[in-house]
Amino acid sequence: MADTMQTLQTQPLEKTRPHFDVRPVRVLIYLILIAGAVLAILPFFWMVSTSLMTLGETINKQWLPKAPQFSNYVEAWTEAKFSKYFLNSVIITTVTLAGLLTTSILAGYAFGRIKFIGRNVLFAILLSTMMIPESVTMIPNFLMIRGDIIPLPGLPGWGGSWLNHLPALTVPFMANAFSIFLLRQFFIQIPDELWDAARIDGAGHLRFLLQVVLPISKAPIMTVLLFSFIGSWNAFLWPLLVTTKPTWRPLMVGLWTFVSEAGPETQLLMAGAVITIFPILVLYFLTQKQFTEGIATTGLKG
Amino acid sequence: MATTMPSKAGYRRPRLRWLDVKEQLTGYLFILPAFTVITLFGLFPIGYAVYMSTFRWRVRKGNFVGLENYTKTLGDWQGVAVFIAGLILMIIAYWIWQNAFRSLDNRKLVVGALGSFVLLVAGWLTASGWGRMIAAGDKDFLESLPRTLYYAMGTVPAEIAMALVLAYLLYQKIHGQEFFRMLYFLPYITPVVATAVVFRTIFNSRETSLANQFLAFFGKEPQRWLFEPKPFNNVMFGMNLEGFWAGPSMALVSIIFFGIWTYVGYNTVIFLAGLGSIPSELYEAAEIDGANKWHSFRYITLPLLSPITFYLGLIAFIGTFKAFNHIYVMRVPSALGTVDVTSVTIFDTFYKANQYGYATAQAIILFFIILGLTLVQNKVFGERVFYG
Repeated sequence: MADTMQTLQTQPLEKTRPHFDVRPVRVLIYLILIAGAVLAILPFFWMVSTSLMTLGETINKQWLPKAPQFSNYVEAWTEAKFSKYFLNSVIITTVTLAGLLTTSILAGYAFGRIKFIGRNVLFAILLSTMMIPESVTMIPNFLMIRGDIIPLPGLPGWGGSWLNHLPALTVPFMANAFSIFLLRQFFIQIPDELWDAARIDGAGHLRFLLQVVLPISKAPIMTVLLFSFIGSWNAFLWPLLVTTKPTWRPLMVGLWTFVSEAGPETQLLMAGAVITIFPILVLYFLTQKQFTEGIATTGLKG
Repeated sequence: MATTMPSKAGYRRPRLRWLDVKEQLTGYLFILPAFTVITLFGLFPIGYAVYMSTFRWRVRKGNFVGLENYTKTLGDWQGVAVFIAGLILMIIAYWIWQNAFRSLDNRKLVVGALGSFVLLVAGWLTASGWGRMIAAGDKDFLESLPRTLYYAMGTVPAEIAMALVLAYLLYQKIHGQEFFRMLYFLPYITPVVATAVVFRTIFNSRETSLANQFLAFFGKEPQRWLFEPKPFNNVMFGMNLEGFWAGPSMALVSIIFFGIWTYVGYNTVIFLAGLGSIPSELYEAAEIDGANKWHSFRYITLPLLSPITFYLGLIAFIGTFKAFNHIYVMRVPSALGTVDVTSVTIFDTFYKANQYGYATAQAIILFFIILGLTLVQNKVFGERVFYG
């Protein structure tokens, strides 16, 4: 598995390095690198520190709270309905990812390993959707979600519109060209001998996919999962459009509405920001290497 | 499944065809779920957007109006033609100059002068075309375009240059390379809405905001940052320039800082991967030939990285023209709309003013602008890329 993944990557990072070694220069290099790192983390430090202050402390020129106010988190979590938004986001992300993985694994497999008429044309059409800006498709999609263009399936109380309902936040994101492309690039490299052997054993495409291909494709699937998790968790513009009520409002839109509600209470707002960032940070620190290398490999934005 | 045994099926034609049909069907069946979603929410909307843009469409569909939405946005088609002619002339001037510096004889001066003359005409044409458009068109939309350009020019070159430096330094056998890389990458993966909310407090007009404490450290007066609609040049350096040359507002510059902060790490990671693929023999050979560090950076690293630089520049530039989330979150009423880039303006036309058809026409215009810029960038910078 590791070997096959290696072929996808350009070069391992540690392989080649020019060697220069002049002492004062090296000190300078470290200083610049550290300065960059400080600038990168300073806003995070500011956020966490402010989230633990009292209202009075946020107004003073202070860098650290005297006594950390963990009650700010409790207040943001309960009073600003972050508990509800958090749960919403978890559900939306899970449902989206489940759908997205199913559709892209199947389509990626078909584009990589099944020869059918029109495959290349369909693939080109698929890739061309990556170039269309969201602002063009946003308005027609909004009408579509409202059920203005075609009748939508739904439950009795929905009245033919997906506005403020779960499918509006999940279904449009259940397939994208990027994920299909990434998986196809991997599936296409799987040696044909494996498929021949499976076929002799009487397996069809679906069984081959489930029992042979998936177990050896953990790395690319993980990459797709990570990118999609971030995309889904961080989504803002579309959820803002389709959630006019808090029923299915995700965390990002909740945080945005909280900006006006919190008013001058910066510490609560910062606590809210920490809550929204937290799951992403945990995921990032757990899968850090896969992340940066996944990005370096694909060179694409999630 | 037993019917598809290949050893026997290979010889008999009907069987082979059955296998083939089944293979075809499986293929279509496998792509069906993905294509249903993409057709409904990715392909169909493109056509429908074009359709919508030709109607007076405010929440509900109204009368067919043809190109009126486009005319209302751009103002004057002749103005547009003059403006575009000016832009094309600018590219021609650039081309003439390039040739002028390539030729070695005395004609250099003459050709150079010709280029300057063409540029002068081009500048005059764009200015007068633009004037005609502004006079008759949608001011909100048209004035958002230079703002978007400020945002792009403010973020893209800076973030790429900084990333290049950081990546190159990180590559010098640094202890904790992966640790640095991890920290640099952090801003890129954290939710933009959350970090933008944090930057709203950092670039606050309060005297105690982080940005103002930073200024105070250098003995400067506190500023209003995101709340300041006056041009950055005016506020910081007291310059009084007019029109386009006045530059971005203080508020927009604050957002530019945010943009740079977010994307430097991403670019660094990509540059690092690119540095890894440059063979070390090249550096060794150069060292033997007596090249110093600057030489090998200038004549080996830079040219060999140029495809990546070009790719990152293109992606970033297109990205700035689509940028929405953080600008939407960081804009405050007291900035008086000086941070409203095109995508934000389109969103307002759609969401606040409920002019669906009109907003769609504007979105399509934006798409063509992005397309045009991509082509120009490809032509101008693409030629300089060294593909080894």
